Amino acid sequence: MLTIENCRLSWPDFVADYTLAVKAGHLCAVIGPSGGGKTTLLHMIAGFETPESGTLTLHGQNLLPLEPAKRPVAIVFQDHNLFPHLSVTQNVGLGLRPSLRLTDGEKALIEDTLEAVGLTGFGTRKPGEMSGGQRQRVALARALVSGRPLILLDEPFSSLDPTLRRDMILLVDDMRRKRPVTILMTIHTPEDAADVADQMAFVADGRVVASGPPATILNSALAPRIAAAVSNS
Amino acid sequence: MLTLKLPHPGSLVAFVILGLVAGGFIALATFDGGTPTLFSIGPYLGRVLAFSIIQATLSTALSLALGIGLALALVRRSFPGRYVVLAALSTTMVMPTIVVVFAVFAVYGRSGWLAEMLAFFGWEGGFSIFGYPGILIAHVFLNAPFVARVTLDGLAQIPAEHWRLATAFGFTPAQVFRHLDWPVLRAELPGIAGLIFLMCFKSFAIVLALGGGPSRSTLEVAIYEALKIDLDFGRVAWLALIQLVICLSMTALLHWAFIRPPAGHTVRSLVRRPDAKDPRLKIVDTVLLAIGALFIVPLAFSVLTGLRNVPDIIGLDLLQAFVTSMVIASAAAIIACVLALALASAARRRRLVLRSPRIAAFYDFLPDTLLAIPPFALTAGLFLLIQRFGDPASAGLILLPLINGLAAVPFAYRYVAPHLLTVEERYGRVAASLGVTGWAKLTIMDWPVLRKPLAAGFALAMALSFGDFGIIALFGGTELVTLPYLLYERLGAYRLDEASAIGLVIVLVAFLLAHLSGRLSHADD
Repeated sequence: MLTIENCRLSWPDFVADYTLAVKAGHLCAVIGPSGGGKTTLLHMIAGFETPESGTLTLHGQNLLPLEPAKRPVAIVFQDHNLFPHLSVTQNVGLGLRPSLRLTDGEKALIEDTLEAVGLTGFGTRKPGEMSGGQRQRVALARALVSGRPLILLDEPFSSLDPTLRRDMILLVDDMRRKRPVTILMTIHTPEDAADVADQMAFVADGRVVASGPPATILNSALAPRIAAAVSNS
Repeated sequence: MLTLKLPHPGSLVAFVILGLVAGGFIALATFDGGTPTLFSIGPYLGRVLAFSIIQATLSTALSLALGIGLALALVRRSFPGRYVVLAALSTTMVMPTIVVVFAVFAVYGRSGWLAEMLAFFGWEGGFSIFGYPGILIAHVFLNAPFVARVTLDGLAQIPAEHWRLATAFGFTPAQVFRHLDWPVLRAELPGIAGLIFLMCFKSFAIVLALGGGPSRSTLEVAIYEALKIDLDFGRVAWLALIQLVICLSMTALLHWAFIRPPAGHTVRSLVRRPDAKDPRLKIVDTVLLAIGALFIVPLAFSVLTGLRNVPDIIGLDLLQAFVTSMVIASAAAIIACVLALALASAARRRRLVLRSPRIAAFYDFLPDTLLAIPPFALTAGLFLLIQRFGDPASAGLILLPLINGLAAVPFAYRYVAPHLLTVEERYGRVAASLGVTGWAKLTIMDWPVLRKPLAAGFALAMALSFGDFGIIALFGGTELVTLPYLLYERLGAYRLDEASAIGLVIVLVAFLLAHLSGRLSHADD
């Protein structure tokens, strides 16, 4: 269970105060207007931003004192997930061992994970030789191979076309059903994840305004605000 | 009816540039002033080439070592005054070389600050700044800040996401260097190293003043001496040809083989580097910054000390030299901007309208080739041409702005060409559909976008020409005196106080113009 309680962060022009709970193994889609604090929420969980107060726990473990590298969290960004000078295998290998001194077992695990995301035989390619969708699959493979129980996806498929975006979300759904991972995924278009997410959280003005089953959120009184957020993003 | 189609101004300009260079070289080679064979100047040429290559290689290596070290230390550390340091690094690009010569004399010369300090501690051993020490100090002082600035710009292009990933993976400082810093350095270094080598290889004022004798000459200085002392035009032609071949090869290599940084350009926020906390790196960075400060600050400060001597030099000769420098710099800047605009316009037309990228690439390359042409040889050749057809007494007034203007074309071109391409890509089809062409296209479509980059190119060309001590070494004298020439005279007479004040005036004007150029070029950012 991921539990965020009154985690407060403040800047001169923006204040965020998050409270959210996500059950273990669930996929939570985070929606909301641009600049509303979705990415800040994920960055706080990953350890890139430090809250001034509040609690943040995963399966009862307090994450706040931990350095980003020590947190049981993997993250995938919208872009620039891969190092252009490294091969696909090496980029995925970073999730296991930053020194890249990979054992045979780890190399086999990388191969299996690449196969799981539909990239069999792509191990020696460089990111520059792949499409945007393929690059995001590599980033997803790295998050999965790291074995960390919480995966944060920060608008990972926003730059892809609608069909490819849908395929990738189905891939994420498939992966999390085969592995014991909890996923938080920020998205622009709620419809993309409405049928696969277990939970939806609407974030605006630095707060989790509402959270619950997707159907409940999308049909609630927030529907006009959600529609406005989607059309403005 | 037969209609005469006028050539594009860019084609005309390219033809004129190639004609001037070819004409100058032919005039040199066919002059009745002795035609030595390459074999007869072989041993001398060998010595000059060896010295040029060795000093350029050492200067490049030392500039890269100090510049990269400073860049990494500056990118990892924040301290009060960091922004001032970063701004100061950008200024050495227009630091006139003759002022650098003065700074080296003032700090490391026989009666310089270092000698005084050592004497204070009882060391009277004495040392000579002439030869490799002075040349290397001056070249590193000019180029290390440039390396640091370019490297810092490259490192700033690393996407914020990569820093977050490095933090999330818990990269060690060595892994940060391997996966984030090194790919940028690897992409940038060949280009920077090549450019610095080229500049040091054809270094003139620094080697002339600090070389300490004819045994330590670059090809450029050798050409100057063959002209000024021996009047041996045949030797000038050979030396110039060899310099042209070497520099043109390097320029071509730089132009086509320069590898751009591999990453994207999304710096969304300032991101903490995970290696900044490492205590060992803190020590390393402190040492690097201290070395940089110890080396650069005294030299820069020596120029500022000229302030107290400014009242002593105010007089008619300073005013005349100032006005002459401004007139020559303005004329050179006009020439540079007109040529750059014409060439960039031709390149754009070839690339986007006529779809002939190879010819467009020729127009793009032509400005860079001007960096490879030995200015003294070109000047001598054109001087001989003027002598045949006109009054040689006026040659200096024509050739100074022309040669300085040609040397500034590559810089003006870099300001103008990208904006011209952008305008065409955005509005070219609309203009074509409306029938807006020629002068109307230039004034209606191009000018609003070009105004500021062109002004920025003009200011930079002026800054470069204002502080230049090159061709004026040939034509300077009682009739024609620029500020850099006045400074050279004062240095030659060991009147260092006056030299310091003149140096300060040159630096202030050059920096003001360069600052104006920077402001104009970023006006719409």
